[in-house]
Amino acid sequence: MSRQATSPWCLWPEHADTVTTAPRGSSVRTRLLWTVAGFGALALAAITLAPLAGSTDVSLARVFDRTLPYADNIDAQIFFVARLPRVLAAALVGSSLALSGVVFQALLRNPLASPDTLGVSAGASLGAMLAITFGADVSLFGLSAIPMASFTGSLGALTIVYGLSVVRRSGTSTMVLLLGGVTLTALLSAIMGFVQFMADFTQTFRNVRWMMGSLDVASYSPIVAALVPTAVAWGGFATLPRVLDLISLGAESAAARGVDVRRAERVALVSASLATGAAVSLAGPVAFVGIVVPHLVRLVVGADHRLVLPGSALFGAALLIACDLVARTAMAPLELPVGIVTALVGGPVFLWLLFRRT
Amino acid sequence: MRTALSSLLLAVALIIAGEARPASQSSGDTAPRRIVSLVPATTEMLYAMGAGSRLIGVGSYDRFPRDVESLPKLGGLLDPNTEQLLALRPDLVIVYDTQAELRQRLERARIPMWSYSLKALPDVAATMRALGARIGMASAGESAAGRIEAQLRAVQARVAGRPRPRSLLIFGRESGALRGINASGGYGFLHDLLELAGAVDVLSDIKQAAVPMSSEMVLARRPDVIIELHYGEAWPANRLDAERRVWSGLPSVPAVRNNRIHLLTGDEFVVPGPRVTLAAERLARTIHPDAFR
Amino acid sequence: MDTPFLDVHDLAFAYGRGATARRVLDGVSLEVSRGSVVGLLGPNGSGKTTLLRILSGGLAPLSGSVRLDGQPLGALTRRALAQRMAVVPQETRATFDFTVLEMVLMGRYPHLGAFELEGADDLEIARQALSDTGTLPLEHRPFATLSGGEKQRVVIAGALAQASDILLLDEPTTALDLRYQFEIMAVLKRLNAERGTTLIVSTHDLNLAAALCERIVMLKQGQVLAHGPTADTLTSHNIRALYDVDADVRFHEQAGHLTVVPLAGAR
Repeated sequence: MSRQATSPWCLWPEHADTVTTAPRGSSVRTRLLWTVAGFGALALAAITLAPLAGSTDVSLARVFDRTLPYADNIDAQIFFVARLPRVLAAALVGSSLALSGVVFQALLRNPLASPDTLGVSAGASLGAMLAITFGADVSLFGLSAIPMASFTGSLGALTIVYGLSVVRRSGTSTMVLLLGGVTLTALLSAIMGFVQFMADFTQTFRNVRWMMGSLDVASYSPIVAALVPTAVAWGGFATLPRVLDLISLGAESAAARGVDVRRAERVALVSASLATGAAVSLAGPVAFVGIVVPHLVRLVVGADHRLVLPGSALFGAALLIACDLVARTAMAPLELPVGIVTALVGGPVFLWLLFRRT
Repeated sequence: MRTALSSLLLAVALIIAGEARPASQSSGDTAPRRIVSLVPATTEMLYAMGAGSRLIGVGSYDRFPRDVESLPKLGGLLDPNTEQLLALRPDLVIVYDTQAELRQRLERARIPMWSYSLKALPDVAATMRALGARIGMASAGESAAGRIEAQLRAVQARVAGRPRPRSLLIFGRESGALRGINASGGYGFLHDLLELAGAVDVLSDIKQAAVPMSSEMVLARRPDVIIELHYGEAWPANRLDAERRVWSGLPSVPAVRNNRIHLLTGDEFVVPGPRVTLAAERLARTIHPDAFR
Repeated sequence: MDTPFLDVHDLAFAYGRGATARRVLDGVSLEVSRGSVVGLLGPNGSGKTTLLRILSGGLAPLSGSVRLDGQPLGALTRRALAQRMAVVPQETRATFDFTVLEMVLMGRYPHLGAFELEGADDLEIARQALSDTGTLPLEHRPFATLSGGEKQRVVIAGALAQASDILLLDEPTTALDLRYQFEIMAVLKRLNAERGTTLIVSTHDLNLAAALCERIVMLKQGQVLAHGPTADTLTSHNIRALYDVDADVRFHEQAGHLTVVPLAGAR
């Protein structure tokens, strides 16, 4: 079916178009398939190849050699205890941080927002620091106290920011959130400085090392523990893609299109904060993943959040796995903290993105 | 007019001469009687030489011997309490060589100081001798240093000729997990102690005092013995068991398989002073228990 | 006269509570019939924007009612209302780099299920809307690179893709220069003529109101000062009462509609 625009009101006869049902360009469905397939292949390659590489030579044949008892099989232990949990943790942390970054950027309508903007990351860091400095070095349920304290810290920060979002009147809501988040981050950083001051030498050393980030979990239980809040967060993320598109144009226009803006903003805030808290308590604050990955993915797939969210999750996982691989092989046998690698990679990339925009 | 000018010139000359004195080991009183020691190692050394009565102030981390409890605590490496220190009117202050600001202030206040730095185990005896000479007790310092060296040689002799197990010395780890492992590398007095106690340091090739270790490194290096150092209160037995069990995730490591994971508590491992002999003996006992029956 | 499409009765609204409450609308009543073009005039602070927000379901009034085709707004779900009524804001700033087509497709949101993706028919509706506003050739361009007039036309297309029953426009030409003002006016006229879209246009531009609107509602300090057909309502007397400005209103032969020329500040 086709129609010609021939009305006398047509001011632009040169644009008299024929509308046909054959769509030019790909539909969202096709692009979504390509996005998931493309970035998914990248992530899959990273997950399968990364455990094979490292500072020690490992023979894949020996890893899966059933004739050798596991207790004697060094290669198997390196693969299953030292490397595989790391790679899985990197996938979890990388994807969660990237997703949080996307959601925060849409929620705050600011492309420079990141998982650190609202103070959740700082809360998690403060929790860990308190546990390291004052914690009676206890362990609970087979888990070190530090991740638990860290996650609790992130929940504390989330509570404050959530309270802000509830109490505020309608209007410039994102401004209040942003200012509140920045203030909270500054306050928490000051408290962390104070804790550092009170710490003795070894505690300071451990604090500083923790802040650089590390994915060496050496066990599956911290990952399983982090999966609980992460799953809740991802459940929230799943409801958001189209809504984030609409909200990013403004709360008023989103509301006029039928979006329950308040509810959506709260789901976004809580989900992104839970995901960030879980990631930071697992691996420490890993810089730049949350802010750079969304932009890089948008360069490839465009701005539609239904593509950017899955793309960022997959690309974030792949990127952090790659950075961790560099961290544990670049200066072998020594290991760089992964946060340093992401900063060295992410920083210049982000600068390049900024230059590109102007 | 002329006398005024020459007095002025004389005054200027005296001031310049005064400023020209070398900074770090400023010669002053050769037998200082009011000593402040911010470094726990030198505090213990002074007591070992019999000069403990000359101490009027110590650092915040000093715990040994018991006598220091009655002395004023004046801070440590990062936070020396300069005002309180000056108020005590010491005639010698022993500082870390990296405490640049404190040293500047002491210079301005014309207080003699002595810079402490430690590289490796042989420096302990050398520092003892130098400190003894500085406070005018050279012979006491010499004999104390001699005692240390003799005791260390004795420990070394005790374990001589025995097969040396490959060992890993860890001085920090997140409790309950195999994360944040900090081990002693192939440099520093802990490394020297380990080797003296009859072991081969698996991290000898990494010339750093502190090495953050990943689980892959532990698996790759396969130590026969793992020694974890812990400070503060001694842990109850069930806590020790729990911490040892943390290693069960790496069964291919000989130390884990043969149940040779040892947790040692004590601050003689952090203070490179006269008690290094104690540390050496404890390490030797741990590594070669049969040599001490 | 057919039953009013949009029936507003005795609307009141205040910001804040208790002693600090600021009454913004008071006893506002008006009727909009299907397919008409109504202009909403008034100085800043007269309550125009608040009225539009209440009409679009974004704010709940303190008292009074709004009925769409006989149904109170509160009885409609957000989604159902959005399918019939769309809003064109004064300015649209896209934080992210959406293309023109993506912007317009967002208008299809109220018509789709929770996880439903746009289909071929949605695509056709969107492209038809682009065509109606003369922006189809721009469909793959980034929205941010368009001129002011093009942007506003795309936003109108997005509103059309969403709902072609009623469009609420909040000062649609204020941020545009003369040529684009004229473009927008022409688009709106055409939409009303071809699709029968009801338009409620809030504006400062008296000449736009004169050219475009069949009926005028004048709001002053939250109350309806005057309303009725344009020729009867847009008079010097009413303009003086509304804006404190003396103006000359006369029919312009060549333009084919009333024109308003301000002459002096009042008294």
